[in-house]
Amino acid sequence: MPKVIRDLSDSSSYWAAVWTMCAMPDVHVICDAPIGCFNLVATAVPDYTDAIPHIENITPSIITENEVGGSGTGPAVQRTYENLRSEGVLEGKHLIVVSTAESEMIGSDLSDLVTKLQPGTTFFHSESLSDDEWLGRDRVLQWLWENYGQDAAKDVTVEPGLVNIIGPTYGCFNAPSDLHEIKRTIEGAGGRLNLVFPYETTLSNMPQLAKAQVNVVLYKEFGHTLADSLGQPWLHAPMGMQGTTQFVQKLGELLGTQEKASAFIQQEKKTTLSAIWDLWKGPQSDWFPTTNVGIVASGTYVDGFTAFLGDELGMPITFASSRPLRPGELDNEGVRQLLHSSPPAFVFGSINEKIYLSEAGARYTNFVPAAFPGPIVRRAVGTPFMGYRGAVYLLQEIVNRLYEVLFNFLPVDSAYSRPSGNGALNGAAKPTNNKPGHLPGNLPWQPEAKALLDAALDRLPFLPRISASREIQMQAELAAQQAELKEVTAELIQAVLAARKN
Amino acid sequence: MSDSIPLGTITQEAKPCQLHPQSMCPAFGSLRVLTRIEGSHPVMATDTGCLYGLTFVTHFYGARKSILAPQLGTAELMAGQVVEGTRAAIEVAAKEPGCQIIPVVSLCVAETAGLPEEMLPKKIGNAEVVLVRVPAYAIHSHPEAKDVALAALLKRLGNATAPKEKKTLALLGEVFPADPLAIDNLLRQMGVEATITLPGRSVDDLRRAGHVGALAPLHPFYKETTAVFRSWSIPVVGGAPVGISGSYAWLKAVGTLLDLDPKLVNDVAEGERARAEAMLKAQPLSGRIFVTGYEGTELAYARLLVEAGAEVPYVSTSIGQDPLVLPDEMWLRARGTKEIVYRKSLEEDVAALDKYPPDFVLGTTPFCAIAKERGIPAMYFTNQLASRPFFLSTGMAATLGFINQTMKGHERYQWMHAFFEGEAADA
Repeated sequence: MPKVIRDLSDSSSYWAAVWTMCAMPDVHVICDAPIGCFNLVATAVPDYTDAIPHIENITPSIITENEVGGSGTGPAVQRTYENLRSEGVLEGKHLIVVSTAESEMIGSDLSDLVTKLQPGTTFFHSESLSDDEWLGRDRVLQWLWENYGQDAAKDVTVEPGLVNIIGPTYGCFNAPSDLHEIKRTIEGAGGRLNLVFPYETTLSNMPQLAKAQVNVVLYKEFGHTLADSLGQPWLHAPMGMQGTTQFVQKLGELLGTQEKASAFIQQEKKTTLSAIWDLWKGPQSDWFPTTNVGIVASGTYVDGFTAFLGDELGMPITFASSRPLRPGELDNEGVRQLLHSSPPAFVFGSINEKIYLSEAGARYTNFVPAAFPGPIVRRAVGTPFMGYRGAVYLLQEIVNRLYEVLFNFLPVDSAYSRPSGNGALNGAAKPTNNKPGHLPGNLPWQPEAKALLDAALDRLPFLPRISASREIQMQAELAAQQAELKEVTAELIQAVLAARKN
Repeated sequence: MSDSIPLGTITQEAKPCQLHPQSMCPAFGSLRVLTRIEGSHPVMATDTGCLYGLTFVTHFYGARKSILAPQLGTAELMAGQVVEGTRAAIEVAAKEPGCQIIPVVSLCVAETAGLPEEMLPKKIGNAEVVLVRVPAYAIHSHPEAKDVALAALLKRLGNATAPKEKKTLALLGEVFPADPLAIDNLLRQMGVEATITLPGRSVDDLRRAGHVGALAPLHPFYKETTAVFRSWSIPVVGGAPVGISGSYAWLKAVGTLLDLDPKLVNDVAEGERARAEAMLKAQPLSGRIFVTGYEGTELAYARLLVEAGAEVPYVSTSIGQDPLVLPDEMWLRARGTKEIVYRKSLEEDVAALDKYPPDFVLGTTPFCAIAKERGIPAMYFTNQLASRPFFLSTGMAATLGFINQTMKGHERYQWMHAFFEGEAADA
């Protein structure tokens, strides 16, 4: 049985190449692409992932029927190159020609052609038909090093105290905030920043990567191959309180700045992290053991959320699904079924999970954006998930959303709710006094009916159960009175529960 | 209709280097149409980069629908599993609750590999399986893919031999939801018994399309779809209810084509014209405006703005030149529009920015960004205009009100420009 994809989560290595290379201003990419592959990667999607109006340093060869039908893409790339040159666009730029799924499909290999273009022009075969964006980013970083870094780096000597950050590229969720926090953390541990590659540097500067004593790889998904090539010790960027503490200590060891690192940790506990200590001592932490969480995000975030929210704070992690998917994890089909049947109180995820929750009408679940795909602006630097500040921000976000739940779902006086319409949305049941002659007080419930109610409540996140139980009870009793029943029956509660699903 | 007007009558200006063609991925138009139908569960046959990008923008525009695709990587392509994989995805789609239709959207890679229609089921359970071929390398613009998708649906679901309901009309074009209501309302006053809107949300509307008395394309790029209606011997109304003169002429044309009571038609058309004129008098437009989107409707918008008093020297669009656009093109050229560019590129738009510095730009996101970098008010045509009524006097009021309001904010655009890039930026 061939594999069927439901709601693709990971883009291809062509996207990885463009989003890595074009982050550097001294690069110009010719993508060997039909107009669509150019528009989506350079305008339509980065508008809504990275909040940039369009990527300027990329031009398509514009594959049309002619190229597909036999002429190949060589002449189109050549023509694009000549136009770019005549417009003066290529001055001071490294020109890189990148293959796409479609150019690979028609077997277009431009390794020879690029030698006839501007000197130094290279061809990157993106393997877009087989590799995903994560593998693609790792491979392109290494390829850039081999083609633009390592030879010149032979003359560069390591300078003690300097630290590189490898990653992010365009299309990395929350990168500006995480990067900001990791810079602060590195400096706190006693390091000095060398390059942030590729986000804040140029390709010409790449040999300078060899100057750093230690490399910090921002994500577990990519960058490690380049870090290995650089030959210096390297660490992954940390998440959670323990992870960050260990990171600062380890970096201090590597740099010989243990004292500074240790002082930073102590200072952070009194400042940045004091919010977590206070929330822990306060009533907020009492909710954690009953606040369950589902996670769909990069493997980096999945591990970080699991460690911080699960191990450190004690929130039950209902499920985790990494990008790229790890063996044994739920795929989107499985995540969808789970969210349809028993969605947890919090779901971190992409627009796919948001769609599944909306299909299920899961109004008791808080969706927190934590992964692409999905349109979101994350350009403010105050919303990190990594480092100490990331831990505080995440916890603050969760507690504030629990307050929202309290506001939205605790029962309100139904006299204030509208007599018609979906009052249930506001936590208010419909008035019960519209049946003339009905008696005040509780109606008796058949044991089977009560069991059905309990089972339905069990499937809801903990906090909203209070209000849901009262709401369902009132709906059932109203229905019973309207049907002139003397007690709430199993059939009746089944009908009420079914109606609530729609 | 204007089919007989030869294309050679208009000569195009010499073009600058066309480096960055401006269109959404052409296939996107088809997804917009296909995901919005109730009970439709699309299957996309393509590579992962394409799938990622197209589903991203589809969800951005509110499809909120899970989308299936066969895995089509090197391994599957080498093993020749395009058909097999697509069939497997169709089977999963058919299990979705309420599934009525499974559009199979075949994109660049699948089209290059080959996806023979006869190898796919025509029906599975209660769901129709309809193949829609939209390789971006062959379609060229996103509006034209809407046409391809709709034509494919109609060829499958429409009933060519259906008895015609003489006084009914199919409105053709993806428009703001309030527009068909306003149009329907006026048409009923003229004696029209019912209208349907295509592409719409309902599969039934596609089935009913073969019954209508006439077709009224509101947008000028539904070539294949119009041909399908012609093949069903359904007559086509020319023009569109845009602006004062356009709406008046269109209402009269509908009246004639559907053989409605001329007196009634005249009363409604006159009444509408009076409302439109009063509306214009209340909020006239002035200033120089560019209409440079990629939705294929740019000429009609330009026409409305010119009628309202604006100067529109430059119009550009992603669609190709076609007899269906020619009436609007000639109308605009007769009223001072200097350049109309089809299949435009960013470079052409930027050259026009230098040539005719505008007061306001309605354009693509890259072009709007460049205009804003110069302190010129600019808005993304796709997001801002498609989300407002446009047709008849009510549409005029909404569209012109919005543009007037934006142009009043020009100082903010200048301030932003000065703050970030002007001489005072360092202060």
